[in-house]
Amino acid sequence: MSNMTIRQFVGQRRGHGGRWHWTDIATWIWLIGGTILMFGPALWLVMSSFKSPAQLAEFPPTLLPYAQETVMVEGYDDPLPLYTARLEDGTTAELAEIRRIGTNSQMVDPADPGTRIDVNIADRTPIRSIGFATGNYVEPLVANDFPRFLWNSVFVTVMATLITLLTNSMAAFALSKYRFRGRDAVMLLIVATLMVPLSVILVPLYSVVNFTGLLNSLWGVILPTVATPTGVFLLRQYMLTIPDELLEAARMDHASEWQIYWRIVLPLAAPALAVLAIFSVVWRWNDFLWPLIVLSRRELYTLQVGLNSYAGELNVQWHYILAMTVVTMIPVVLVFVFLQRFITTGIAGAGIK
Amino acid sequence: MATLSLKDIRKSFAGIEVIHGVDLSVKDGELVVFVGPSGCGKSTLLRLIAGLDRPTSGTIELDGRDVTGVNAADRGLAMVFQSYALYPHMTVRQNLSFGLENTRMPKAEIARRVDEAGRMLEIGELMNRRPTQLSGGQRQRVAIGRAIVREPSAFLLDEPLSNLDAELRVTMRAELAQLHERLATTMIYVTHDQVEAMTLADRIVVLRGGRIEQVDTPLGLYNQPANLFVAGFIGAPNMNLFPATARDGQAELPGGLRIDTGPGAARDGKVTIGIRPQHMHLAEAGEQTLEGRVELVERLGAETVVHAVTAEGTTFVTVLAGQPEVAMGDTLHVTPDRGQVHVFDADGQRVARD
Repeated sequence: MSNMTIRQFVGQRRGHGGRWHWTDIATWIWLIGGTILMFGPALWLVMSSFKSPAQLAEFPPTLLPYAQETVMVEGYDDPLPLYTARLEDGTTAELAEIRRIGTNSQMVDPADPGTRIDVNIADRTPIRSIGFATGNYVEPLVANDFPRFLWNSVFVTVMATLITLLTNSMAAFALSKYRFRGRDAVMLLIVATLMVPLSVILVPLYSVVNFTGLLNSLWGVILPTVATPTGVFLLRQYMLTIPDELLEAARMDHASEWQIYWRIVLPLAAPALAVLAIFSVVWRWNDFLWPLIVLSRRELYTLQVGLNSYAGELNVQWHYILAMTVVTMIPVVLVFVFLQRFITTGIAGAGIK
Repeated sequence: MATLSLKDIRKSFAGIEVIHGVDLSVKDGELVVFVGPSGCGKSTLLRLIAGLDRPTSGTIELDGRDVTGVNAADRGLAMVFQSYALYPHMTVRQNLSFGLENTRMPKAEIARRVDEAGRMLEIGELMNRRPTQLSGGQRQRVAIGRAIVREPSAFLLDEPLSNLDAELRVTMRAELAQLHERLATTMIYVTHDQVEAMTLADRIVVLRGGRIEQVDTPLGLYNQPANLFVAGFIGAPNMNLFPATARDGQAELPGGLRIDTGPGAARDGKVTIGIRPQHMHLAEAGEQTLEGRVELVERLGAETVVHAVTAEGTTFVTVLAGQPEVAMGDTLHVTPDRGQVHVFDADGQRVARD
């Protein structure tokens, strides 16, 4: 099994003698369908982000981004778009379009710039090749406040995640490893807040943030979100699996309660912390409603709020939105790629028998 | 170096008392073994001594100082846990030095002690490995090493060998005995294995149901068990116990064997006669005998274990030297060795007959 090639592995079938069993077919349909369902929109997004505004408006849409080929013609300052045109005598030629008048197109042969040819627009097709409209990325990144938004988002995400991990793990440590009166009640209360959605507490939360002077400050975005019931619950359940004997051994080893938490419990809870870190990064990075409410000055916008500013009342700049959405996705994808192996590695319990 | 004394220690969990007033004193340098069936409170007692739990009442004294309210770390004791409780995310060296670092000991001194423990326990080459990369025996050594480096006044060991396979257990047992010899530190050792208790202990504390049944040297327990429980618990195979009725200081066993029950408490009434399987021989002509039908014969070469049942239905086991010709279904006649018969009164207490 171990020295099986990828081809052999993928080609495995349940049917005997290399024949197809109906479950093989069902599995393939299911997996391919699932892949399309999951990756299709993301792929579409990435491809579309390289399209020019004109091509985005095109119908029927294409998957790949195309750019029209252009040519410099003597006597014209700008490059002219190239078309394949069918002439009146039935022959076809590659011509450059000067301008369009009604249903007619004035064209010119790049080899013979002196002669103008009139062609009906139905008789010409654009010459296109795959091309990437990188300007979609470059322009907002250079000209607009996008780097500023990016920095704000990174700051909010990193700080919120660090504080979330610290406070939630401390709460989880106390709730899993100490026995005190009312512990279960506290736990129940924390878990119960899972059922309260943000929209319910939006107004009171806004009042609190306003009262504490955190309005229009990134800390106003960070602080209200750091205490998550999900995080406390997740970490507590994991910490319950860390044997008490380890803590007792540490206690015999002159470790203070803080050292037990910092040097024993935290390292052993690393897999759960990684999961929570992934969650927290994704939550904070994708957060839209709360930053939109707290932040009203443009230089404080996070990416998600900034993206929203490309959608004006009259004009939506789809090409920028698509490109910047891709940029916005990259960090979340990277975090998942690098942290996901932590999820599968459990190291606690290894020292115990 | 420490003397330890427990005075009327009681412990309750959720209102249920599990230790019912234990008094014990341990001399300096002594290896005391707590032994008893599971649930007898031996581990609980050890945790009370360690300071991991607090007694409900009673006092614990170390070197004459009352430490009942003192934290585990400040009692100067070291504990080896049944599961070893090695920190899985630290290397062996980090495991050993963790406790020393916490006391802000100079680095050079930590390194010296860790290296010395590594040499003593032959785990020097494993210093950079993690507990997961060690075998059971190696983990056991690291756990002991972690206790040694702290140079404690006493070691507390909670069933340290129970996770090892039988062969390794014998080797580690011998090593522990040597270690105690070399360090000459007070050790309190908890086990449910009477062989470990017998081979290691200077004194054994037999516990049952949260009470001390008897405290004595291993041979003292074997030769003069204080009551039926100790008699049955110590020694393998178990001591044979025959219920009998005494009249005028005499009890009769099946087959006509008469036992002198002495002038004291067991002169009349119900008694129990105890004879160890090893303390019987095949009856010679003219001797009073114990009679039984042979049910099973186990030939081990050097000795033969014979299981028999008396006419009254009491089964007994006898270990006969060599390879006597005994077959299943035979009627067995055996005689107890002189002075090797134990008599217990109706309450199960030993009756002194001398």
